[in-house]
Amino acid sequence: MARFKTRTDRVLDICVWTAPALVSGLFLWLVGDLAVRGCGAFWPGESEASGFFRLTEPLELVIKFLTGAPERAGRSGGIGPILVSTGLILMVCMSMAIPFGLGTALLLSEFVAPQNRFGRIVRRSLDVLAGVPSIVFGLFGNAVFSQFLGLRFSILSGGLTLACMVLPLLIRSTEEALNAVCPTQRHAATALGFSRWATVFQIILPQATPGVVVGLVLGIGRALAETAALIFTSGYVDRMPRSVFDSGRSLSIHIYDLSMNVAGGNQNAYASALVLITVLALINAATNWLATRFLQREAGNF
Amino acid sequence: MCIPFQIRSYIALACLLSLFTCGCGAADGARTTAAPRQTQITITGASTIAPLMGEIGKRFEAEHPGIRVDVQTGGSSRGVADARNGLADIGMVSRDLKPDEADLQRFLIARDGVCIILHAENPVQSLSREQIISIYTGQTRNWKAVGGRDAPITVVNKAEGRSTLEVFATHFKINTKEIHADVVIGDNEQGVKTVAGNPLAIGYVSIGTAEVDREGGVPIRLLSLNEVEASVKNVRNGTFPMSRTLNLVTKTPPEGTIKELIDFASSSKVHDLVKELSFVPID
Repeated sequence: MARFKTRTDRVLDICVWTAPALVSGLFLWLVGDLAVRGCGAFWPGESEASGFFRLTEPLELVIKFLTGAPERAGRSGGIGPILVSTGLILMVCMSMAIPFGLGTALLLSEFVAPQNRFGRIVRRSLDVLAGVPSIVFGLFGNAVFSQFLGLRFSILSGGLTLACMVLPLLIRSTEEALNAVCPTQRHAATALGFSRWATVFQIILPQATPGVVVGLVLGIGRALAETAALIFTSGYVDRMPRSVFDSGRSLSIHIYDLSMNVAGGNQNAYASALVLITVLALINAATNWLATRFLQREAGNF
Repeated sequence: MCIPFQIRSYIALACLLSLFTCGCGAADGARTTAAPRQTQITITGASTIAPLMGEIGKRFEAEHPGIRVDVQTGGSSRGVADARNGLADIGMVSRDLKPDEADLQRFLIARDGVCIILHAENPVQSLSREQIISIYTGQTRNWKAVGGRDAPITVVNKAEGRSTLEVFATHFKINTKEIHADVVIGDNEQGVKTVAGNPLAIGYVSIGTAEVDREGGVPIRLLSLNEVEASVKNVRNGTFPMSRTLNLVTKTPPEGTIKELIDFASSSKVHDLVKELSFVPID
């Protein structure tokens, strides 16, 4: 009877409520700490301006920070070139990881039987790859892309290394999403005489889109947060990159360098971390919005 | 077959991205083959020197249009390895070269000196090597044991990963995990402020910072080590024991632009950059 709560029940109740409260508390603490310390960089110091102009000053400082080049080893100035490099690295990474990831996931879930030996080997190796520490990917990327393929320290070599790192995550989550599509849909499609590819494109992929998007967001998050895999591949140069063949510093490496190697770099490290978190949240929101929009469109078609 | 909109956009996106990547590749390939190799100088090595070298590189680029200086990190050993196998034109090494690295050309660009600081009101005038080790490993907890007043010692230590901590631990041969710290700080300024605000504190910071702050009236005392006064002058002439050299290394005697860059990095034109990162410029 639910009315008679024993002592154990109450203790368990408390535990179940405290755990999430602590987790969200920790998250809020972290974000709050970052926001308070990071915003310090955008707070105007002594200034001549008054009244309305005083109010627009933080905004100007934010824009200056987002577009300016780092100065004095990153202690002052902005993160413009670093944002561009980060964007390019992410683009290279995703343009490799999405087609390969989608293709492999489709093969695993639609074209080979669950007990198929080849499929099992692929899955097992992906699981092993997913657990490999990122520094190993960094050394691998340095040996293969930077040295063997002669890309040296470049955004391309960093993006490709990240793609290798993100692929297992992307494939497994996409495969889960594809498997979650109800099998009766496939049977119905077959009964109606759909070809295999028509079933994939018209029935399965549209339904699996939300799951694919979740995997994508996780992959982007992991790529953006990466330092170890990038320090030996895309490198440390904080100049504006001319192309993907130039070395470019990612946002995470910039934060790491400012907080560990540069005396007096803490202020800008916090500000950059705040930008990183904001970018992540924006990407998250954008992908979710796109997914829901596509789903509604799909619903309208039926 | 009708392909739904979202699938089409997946495909379009992929095509666009690969086109973009190829376009960049073609453009860059054409440029790099046309230009002589020396327009790009790659430097790898010690993460301590990397921020300094990055700034030096930018100033060098400004004086020599068309030349790019790419600075990468990875540690002193990596600097040595990359300079040897040709991955980098110049390596950065934040220590003296080992005997088996004598095949490389070495160029001193700056020194890094660390000194022990106390509050100016602390009656303790000097500490021996053993006393400092015993304070930092937590065996001595009271100033009375080393000739001060009867009060507990506040041990100020640097955060893991700071180069000053490395210099300090290497000099006293202390394992960084054995250090018993009451306060853990980040940069030099913070260290000076912590000690200046606590008459019972002991800490260590870069000599460059400490000297400037003491001259600016901050109440701290720089302790001598092995009878050698802690001063920028003594770090510069190499007599102060708790210091290290910041070097550039090359495999073969440098020529052309690389030689120009190395000369530039050890010239007085970059002394302000060296000082700003709390290192000691050489003459």
